[in-house]
Amino acid sequence: MTHDRWTSGDAELTNALRALYAAPAEESYWDALEARILQHVATGEVRSGWWDELADMIRPGLIAAAALILAASLAMARSEQLEARNAYASLIAPSPTSVEASTRGSIGDGDAAIHLLLSR
Amino acid sequence: MPAPVEGVVNERAIVIAAQHGSHDAFAALVRIHQRRAYAVARAIVLSHEDAEDAVQEGFLHAHRALDRFRPDQPFGAWLNRIMANAALDLVRRRKVRDADELPESIPMPFRDPAESGELRERLHDALTHLSDRQRAVIVMHDVEGFTHGEIGRTLGIPEGTARSDLHHARAALRRLLQDIRSIP
Repeated sequence: MTHDRWTSGDAELTNALRALYAAPAEESYWDALEARILQHVATGEVRSGWWDELADMIRPGLIAAAALILAASLAMARSEQLEARNAYASLIAPSPTSVEASTRGSIGDGDAAIHLLLSR
Repeated sequence: MPAPVEGVVNERAIVIAAQHGSHDAFAALVRIHQRRAYAVARAIVLSHEDAEDAVQEGFLHAHRALDRFRPDQPFGAWLNRIMANAALDLVRRRKVRDADELPESIPMPFRDPAESGELRERLHDALTHLSDRQRAVIVMHDVEGFTHGEIGRTLGIPEGTARSDLHHARAALRRLLQDIRSIP
């Protein structure tokens, strides 16, 4: 180990650092840690497997939902287009009812009486 | 005692077996590397308990990433990098959590009461004034004996940055502890 620019007076500090960071020395500690690591890995992989399966099921569901939303949006847009087209068509081609109404509107009550007399 | 080359060949065989799903092979890798893994994690986190958590999490990540490891590469260096990342993640999570909690709930470092002296106490406090990376560099170098290159590869920083961090960490510790140092 190199100690560039670390003076001999710092040996005390280095020793204190080593004491502070000393790993447990007992073999039983490492045996226990190994067991805990393997347990953690096993548990983590089981949890991961369960989640992965759920994620596998969720993914097609999300795709189907997105496709449905897209189809619904397209249908709505198409319906709005049709409504607009019908409204426009009704404006440029007035219905017979409206012609009758406009004709009827243009004949006053007096004119109607003259029409009645002349028709007899 | 087996020769180093033989050890490397054996380890490669163990890694390949673990990659093929052998639980025993993975357990052997844990047995071989857990002390070094602990040392890497301990250099980065502030307590013994956090180092244990980081080591467990690091080995879980390693197990999940084992398929992506190329057996012709040094397994120890790859694992050290994973451990460092797991420890750095833990430090980040602790900072977020501690910012939201009361001071008494901050985890206390692992201490052997028999070893607690003034320098030890002050050193622990002084280390908290260093950046996470500076603390990791000085501990990995001065306590664990990592070279600057190994520190750089483990922490994902250039070797020159590791060198510079070490210099600044030492200067900061000298400054923070000058009143109790026996040598000026």
